[in-house]
Amino acid sequence: MAEIATNPARPASGIDLRYQPGFTQIAWFCLAVLYAPIAVLVAYSFNENRSVMVWTQFSFDWYARAWNNEGVQHAAWISLQVAFLAMLFSTVMATMAALVTTRTPSFRGLNLSIAVINQPLMVPEVVTAVATLIFFSIIKQATGVAGIGYLIAAHTAFCIPFAYMPIRARLEDMDLSLEQAAADLYAPPFKVFRRVTLPLMMPGILAGAMLAFIVSLDDVIITLFVAGPGETTLPLYILGQIRRGVTPEINAVSTVFLGISVVLVTFIFLFGKNRQ
Amino acid sequence: MKLKLLKRILAAGLMLTAGSAFAAGELHIYNWGNYTNPEMIAKFEKANDVKVTLDGYDSNETMLAKVEQGGSGYDIVVPGDYMIAIMIKKGLLEKVQPNKMSNFKNVDSKWVDVYWDPGREYSIPYQWGTTNFTVDTSVYKGDINTLALLFDPPAELKGRINMLKDMNDVINAGLRYLDYPRCNSDKAQLKSLNEMLVKAKVNWRTMDYSVIEKLTSKDVDLSQSWNGAAKRARKDRPELVYAYPREGFTGWMDNVAVLKGAPNLENAKKFINFMMTPEAAAMTSNFANYANGITGSESMMNEDLVSAPEIVMPASAPAPEFVPPCPQEVTDLYAKIWTNLNK
Repeated sequence: MAEIATNPARPASGIDLRYQPGFTQIAWFCLAVLYAPIAVLVAYSFNENRSVMVWTQFSFDWYARAWNNEGVQHAAWISLQVAFLAMLFSTVMATMAALVTTRTPSFRGLNLSIAVINQPLMVPEVVTAVATLIFFSIIKQATGVAGIGYLIAAHTAFCIPFAYMPIRARLEDMDLSLEQAAADLYAPPFKVFRRVTLPLMMPGILAGAMLAFIVSLDDVIITLFVAGPGETTLPLYILGQIRRGVTPEINAVSTVFLGISVVLVTFIFLFGKNRQ
Repeated sequence: MKLKLLKRILAAGLMLTAGSAFAAGELHIYNWGNYTNPEMIAKFEKANDVKVTLDGYDSNETMLAKVEQGGSGYDIVVPGDYMIAIMIKKGLLEKVQPNKMSNFKNVDSKWVDVYWDPGREYSIPYQWGTTNFTVDTSVYKGDINTLALLFDPPAELKGRINMLKDMNDVINAGLRYLDYPRCNSDKAQLKSLNEMLVKAKVNWRTMDYSVIEKLTSKDVDLSQSWNGAAKRARKDRPELVYAYPREGFTGWMDNVAVLKGAPNLENAKKFINFMMTPEAAAMTSNFANYANGITGSESMMNEDLVSAPEIVMPASAPAPEFVPPCPQEVTDLYAKIWTNLNK
């Protein structure tokens, strides 16, 4: 996703897909399938009655209700807290990993390392979730320590590859001449990193961080298994409502979070564009 | 030594991020989502100086998966009847003996010797209800108290029916309609059940949990339904009437229980005793819209609840049947029928 945004120099391949017959129709169809349900969800968040299917009148009632709902507030706060911390930790680790895998001479096990970093993308999420649940449960019983730290650790783990990909793509795009020039001028390695490499890779880091934030904000399965008492995130809160009937309150909350996602994705896009 | 140090570092690290509690004690409740009255929780917190955390789950199975390994940190869970039986068997519940507590006298005697917890050694009633169906009586004017409406519907209701997407609810209704016993492994009977369901399905419009939406949007005129959902749907569509078929129907009960190894055992026991007071039971019913099994709570319940035919069963209706979990071989056979039906 971010790679597309930050990598405009796609190799030209003889034919241009955009001028193939049916391209426009297929593209619009795919967009409609992807976005129509979201549009319906947003529209009904402004519906005045309780049903999520019958339209009566425009109103902000459900937003007011969601705003005053303690459960929603608490869950949203937990979600933001976890997403922010997971973003912070995973981005730091992903940045270090990206530097090692692009800025050091090739070493034995380089490909293996990359595979291990990207592992959370390859393993089905529910497997990771169950494994994490059992692993944490053993630790909790052995140490008697509980807390939201476990949830943040789990989120950090699966956010790393998402943060890693755009950062690595950015590093691979940057050629070494500026860093070599700095080194030629007797800048010590750390200074080269601070004054040259880091500022240049910043767009990649920001894109990676935002991606990690969104992925953490979204997660259901791992969170469902790992979250302890009082650690219900917003997606879990919504899931818990389903059996007893979803109200447009959920539409309202989802719309707000959709808004946050859209803002962040726009930022990622703009950062990608800036560097051209 | 080393391990101890590691433990301390871990503890310090995690404590930093853990929410701090100012009350004297804590209690961690894990209940179905949107099923706990916040006022009732506030009352308990105030009376006992306890800070309560509340989390929601979407199914008995989710809850089981999460607490089965131990160390989940929860004290109180609210499993359905069959899940209590499973959890007692697996040794996941603490034998807190509510039957020896001071408020146990309030528990309606018909809910004491139940198949999932005979004599109430582990759990107390939380909410109970029935699974039947609700019909728009302006569309169909005949007698509604028969399962024929689901399986051999009159012309008005053909193609206007929603069934719950729940294997046990559909199959048990089918077995009752054919007058076969529950937890059935008789191949010949199951074969005719299968044929009957496949034939009936032609007249069903949907199989879906979202009963209220289906009914209020007039997508269907009859839906299999939990009684609470039927009551809520009636608010928007007053012609709906909840049926009590004479062939019989399923009852269900959610129960408050304490997890083995609960970190706050004493507070959990206090909560169990508190939940047997008519005030707490009434508050729960007023929020969750179901009956509660605690005598003396009716006078504090909302008028529309006490007078609702979905909640208060008419005297003519048969007693609800609580179906224990069936043996694995039966469940496997059911699953085959169910998969075939969903094709």
